[in-house]
Amino acid sequence: MSHTILVCDDAIFMRTMIGDILTGAGYEVVGEAETGVQAVEQYSRLKPDLVTMDIVMPDMGGIDAVREIRRQDPDAKILMCSAMGQQALVVEAIQAGARDFVVKPFQPSRVLEAVQRVLG
Amino acid sequence: MDRARYTDLFLTEGREHLVTCAQLLVELERAPRDLEPVHGLFRAIHTLKGMAATMGYSQVTDLSHEMETVLDAVRRGERRASRPLIDVLLETVDALTAGIETAARGQDAELDFQDLLARLTKRPRTRKRASNDAAAVKNTPLAGMWVQVVIDPAAPMRGGRAAVLLREAGSLGTVSEITPSASELERESFTGQLGFHLVSDAAPAAIAARLRTVGDVREVTCDPRSPGHEASGAGERHAAKPSTPTVRVDRRRLDALMNQVGELVVTKNRLASLAAGSGGELSAAVDRMARLVSEMQAEVMLARLTPAAEVLDRFPRMVRDLSRVVDKEVSLIVEGRHIEVDRAILEQIGEPLLHLLRNAIDHGIESVEARKKAGKPPAGQLSLIAARERNSVTFEVRDDGAGIDRAAILEKARREGSVADSVTSLTDEQLLEVLGRPGFSTAKRVTSVSGRGVGVDVVLTRIRPLGGSVEIRSEVGRGTSVTLRLPLTVVLLRALLARVGQERYVIPVTHVAETVFLDSRSATTLDGRQALKLRDETIPTVRLRDLAGFPDEPTPTRQPCVVFEVGTRRTALVVDALLGQEEIVVEPFQPPSGTPAVFSGATILSDGVPSLILDAAAVV
Repeated sequence: MSHTILVCDDAIFMRTMIGDILTGAGYEVVGEAETGVQAVEQYSRLKPDLVTMDIVMPDMGGIDAVREIRRQDPDAKILMCSAMGQQALVVEAIQAGARDFVVKPFQPSRVLEAVQRVLG
Repeated sequence: MDRARYTDLFLTEGREHLVTCAQLLVELERAPRDLEPVHGLFRAIHTLKGMAATMGYSQVTDLSHEMETVLDAVRRGERRASRPLIDVLLETVDALTAGIETAARGQDAELDFQDLLARLTKRPRTRKRASNDAAAVKNTPLAGMWVQVVIDPAAPMRGGRAAVLLREAGSLGTVSEITPSASELERESFTGQLGFHLVSDAAPAAIAARLRTVGDVREVTCDPRSPGHEASGAGERHAAKPSTPTVRVDRRRLDALMNQVGELVVTKNRLASLAAGSGGELSAAVDRMARLVSEMQAEVMLARLTPAAEVLDRFPRMVRDLSRVVDKEVSLIVEGRHIEVDRAILEQIGEPLLHLLRNAIDHGIESVEARKKAGKPPAGQLSLIAARERNSVTFEVRDDGAGIDRAAILEKARREGSVADSVTSLTDEQLLEVLGRPGFSTAKRVTSVSGRGVGVDVVLTRIRPLGGSVEIRSEVGRGTSVTLRLPLTVVLLRALLARVGQERYVIPVTHVAETVFLDSRSATTLDGRQALKLRDETIPTVRLRDLAGFPDEPTPTRQPCVVFEVGTRRTALVVDALLGQEEIVVEPFQPPSGTPAVFSGATILSDGVPSLILDAAAVV
């Protein structure tokens, strides 16, 4: 059975792109969230194997969403999606419990490498 | 790992960092746009966080982390260093200051910082983070290794990669001594090469393999032979750190050493007096030993010297808090932080200074309105100045407030009968005498009348046993200055030996201006009492014979005098004979009842006979 993934990003463009990369590699995108609050809510409902999380989102940012999800599930596997120049936020997200990160603009191979690393 | 040893180090350094934090926060409040204090704060709290995490103190780690996050936001201009924020940060520093002590006692888990965490983040926080770190630490065995990692220099966000790597390493054991520092890791210029010390029970090969699974990692080397200190190839960056030429020594060791040197000096004096007149090789050997002991004493004293900053740096915070409580504007200037003082004195000086500062803020400096009315700037100027003089150190607390209401004090003193009715105005010296009387200053009624006085007796009782003195200068409408003068070191005192009858007394040189003879040419009178004419000055005399309670004897025509100088006051002490100088070790002294108040301590002289130490300030 393929791994289930929740994709969180406030831009439809990004969600679509990540979704295509993941689906193309055989993963199952089980949900999409466009705010941190939605991400937390969907995580507890869907219990996906992995979450891709944008850092900057309206209504609870990605880092807080990481904290909240990890509070509910300390084993949650979260992959941060970051833009260039957000290094401090990435470090904060890692310290908050995110497992790994990828940097936009995405190269499909790098995204998939990171996903594989996190799913271990 | 020897946890107890690390606990001590953690506490010592942790306290230092927190003192720094409090100090910088006060600076920041004064100039909220100045980012320099923020950088310092960030570094201090970041270091504390790292240390706490290494120790497995997760509550302390969490709170430090949150404070760091706030500071980072301030640093990047995302949050303003507003007063309320600084209040919360100061509270956080307080909580951490208490917290590290609790954690060091092994009670970290009992700490509850929920409230502060919530106020720092302004978001409710319900969960304890960093518990993983704690768990990782608890299982760490003894072996350490130096891990060197190369991250692909072409990879984006190498600093983020380093964070992932360090988190991974942290899950394997205890990470410390990360090089370059965490803040450098986050810079764009970070090349991707980092090293750290790792204590883990996993095999080096397994660790390397695990760390290579982290993205963008090109190379991992684990060198068990060089736990971060030897300059191996892997540790080069680390070894390149400048090594400081200092070593930390437990203070108690220095104190013990100083006490032993003190005893040694006394024994040396005793030996010298036994060998006196024997001549030849014995005298030569005793002389040589005397020189060596003196040099050793000087070295130990230097080792004990501590910058006055250690005590002075507490006060900006206190002054800030207190001035807000009484709703006054006070700007504190601290000078002489770098002055080096015997630690024994520093330990004693804190409380007296606290009293004086409190007095100045509470009673000396006026309200903003009153100051405006008096044509003064709204903020009261408060100065705390440490200075080194030839044979002493001074600490001065000066304010530009209302000054002491002498009339009210005089009236009260007259009522009490402590001042003759004929006195119509109080000099600065008399003021000190009246205020310093126990009971006078502590009476509430008087405080509100005098506008000052609380704690002056506390100051005196603290300073005098150290061989120090207190001087007050006060001018109505212009302010008050109190100066504490102390010897350079308290354990060993250079002192004159004076004789009355068959009894010898010790006179510390701290307040001795000179020694002269009182004879027919220099004797004069002042207000009908015997006095000493010295150059153009007429100085009142006091006879040690009277002070010590000896019966009168016919006065010889030529008597030695010791001229004391305390503040601007001078008094000549007439003795039967002066026997020379000696270095004495001050013993803690509980005066037997009936001992005249002019004696502040006791010592054992070089011939083994105990002797009383005269308090110059009480004589003058």
